[in-house]
Amino acid sequence: MALLSVRDLAVQFVTRKATVRAVNGISFDLEAGATLGIVGESGCGKSVSSLAMLGILPKPAGRVTRGEVDFDGVDLLKLPDSQLRQVRGKDIAMIFQDPMTSLNPVLTIGRQITESLRKHLDMSKDEAKKEAVSLLGRVGIPAPEDRIKDFPHQFSGGMRQRVMIAMAISCRPKILIADEPTTALDVTIQAQILDLLKHLVAEENMALILITHDLGVVAGTCERTNVMYAGRFVESATTSSLFARPRHPYTLGLLKSVPRLDAARKEKLEPIGGTPLSMTQDIEGCAFAPRCIYATDKSREETPELARIDSDDHLVACWNPVPDEDLPHVEVVATQAEGRTAR
Amino acid sequence: MSVAEAEAKELRLEQPSSLGRDALERFRHNKAALVGVAVILLLVLVAIFAPLIAPYGPRQQVGALDSSDPEGPSSEHLMGLDEQGRDEFSRVVYGARLSLLVGLVSVTFGLTFGLILGALAGYFGGWIDTAIMRVMDIMLSIPGLLLAIGLVTLLGRGLIQIMCAVGITTIPIFARLLRGAILAQRESDYVLAARSVGVPGGRLLMIHILPNALAPVIVQATLAMATAIIDVAGLSFLGLGPADPGFPEWGKMLADNASRLERAAHLVIFPGAAVVISVLGLNLIGDGLRESIDPKLRS
Repeated sequence: MALLSVRDLAVQFVTRKATVRAVNGISFDLEAGATLGIVGESGCGKSVSSLAMLGILPKPAGRVTRGEVDFDGVDLLKLPDSQLRQVRGKDIAMIFQDPMTSLNPVLTIGRQITESLRKHLDMSKDEAKKEAVSLLGRVGIPAPEDRIKDFPHQFSGGMRQRVMIAMAISCRPKILIADEPTTALDVTIQAQILDLLKHLVAEENMALILITHDLGVVAGTCERTNVMYAGRFVESATTSSLFARPRHPYTLGLLKSVPRLDAARKEKLEPIGGTPLSMTQDIEGCAFAPRCIYATDKSREETPELARIDSDDHLVACWNPVPDEDLPHVEVVATQAEGRTAR
Repeated sequence: MSVAEAEAKELRLEQPSSLGRDALERFRHNKAALVGVAVILLLVLVAIFAPLIAPYGPRQQVGALDSSDPEGPSSEHLMGLDEQGRDEFSRVVYGARLSLLVGLVSVTFGLTFGLILGALAGYFGGWIDTAIMRVMDIMLSIPGLLLAIGLVTLLGRGLIQIMCAVGITTIPIFARLLRGAILAQRESDYVLAARSVGVPGGRLLMIHILPNALAPVIVQATLAMATAIIDVAGLSFLGLGPADPGFPEWGKMLADNASRLERAAHLVIFPGAAVVISVLGLNLIGDGLRESIDPKLRS
């Protein structure tokens, strides 16, 4: 059985004005030690689904309307908050997008790292401090024994994200959820942080869920990638297969809108036409249909479910998957993806 | 990792500093605030060492009992004599004791309850928030001094009662301020991050949210102390001051001699100036604190 098994998870934000259907039934399995990327544009429900799994949706508006999140055979959504707190940080930990605001400005980072150590692992103050120093060393912070006395504002963005990672891995969680861990960092630091994450995950045999809008980030990090659109998964495949033969028109659109060094100089980026749907309405048919050149009447009427295509490993939710002849630069894309994986 | 190391070295050059130390550093460079501290420090010393500074006792009659034309300032009596022949300087000096005490106690009182109510309202939200804040709104809708007058009437006259009454009028200000700050902090990323590692509610509020929300309240507290001194002076002026009529209180001294402004201006000017100076000192400190604590001004 999978370590984490999410079934038909749906989240809504209910306010007096409108109901936003942020997540509309997503399912996936995560094995111990596996790495999964979740890719999609802003507002497609990537972050919300992970907050929902941990039971920390913004209250009172956010609520899980249906679904199951089975972790080690227990449905997290049915646990009372006091028991869920035992899971959060200990078994499942999370790294947030913006390291500049995700650390408490008035507490030393030592204090913030030891907090979960002392709570979850019952360490004494001294033990926790020692462990915090070694954690900071592991995430590549020089002179950790001095720096644990420092406050967040004395660290740079990249360093703060390292601190966040140290906090997240402090209790050796089985699953690490990284929500856009590199979005707020500049490119060189991004690569360092991703490298660090990859190493830590491999060393500790942690499962990683990497949430991002950057295809380049999943390409080098994740074995498997799910593409999300309007609160649903539209395509799920091994990362190399997804880059080589994207089957969903949306995935193809995403790939085509990424600038590439090896593209011909005159070649223009192709943006995806149109704008995402308003998530306040019930969506009939395929949510991507209004922006899709392959859309047919069927797409507009019936919502496609994830179904097998090409191989057992490649799933797509589309009535008219992208035909092979429309895939541009198939080989180039594939080698690029593999090249990044190898690096 | 070489970039990171270089970065770290660079950071090591500066002294390790906490937020409090940073704020103190900025405060020390604020001349106006330092003047405020000096003024208040001086007043505190005056209050403590009043018996050493004042040449006479506050109730001691040293001159003629002349209520129609009290003696003006002279080299012997720096601020002249009052209508009962008491040394005005000694009375102003002793008056510092009461005014500072009143400012401190009433603000501490208001702050304590204001913080509790504001924290409950801000953190729990929902009907608790609504209930607390509506009561606060009602209190705010009554002018502070009027509310204090009503409360003194209710509680009876006396030093403690007056301090409570003035303190109560400051509760809604603190409660509102803290509630707003907590609401802003509650949704911040670091609180979400703390929740994601399983920090329970009470700890979240006390350790994570409250220290971040406290800065504007600290500033307000210094400013409220100034207002409290004025309010108590105002209450005394209206005849609702501390029960003991013999003990000097700046507001009461003003009230007693308001009608003699033309003939004996010194009896109004000196206690009035004392009130103004102490309020000014506290305001300077408050403004200085605001500038040094505000995280947005942090370099």
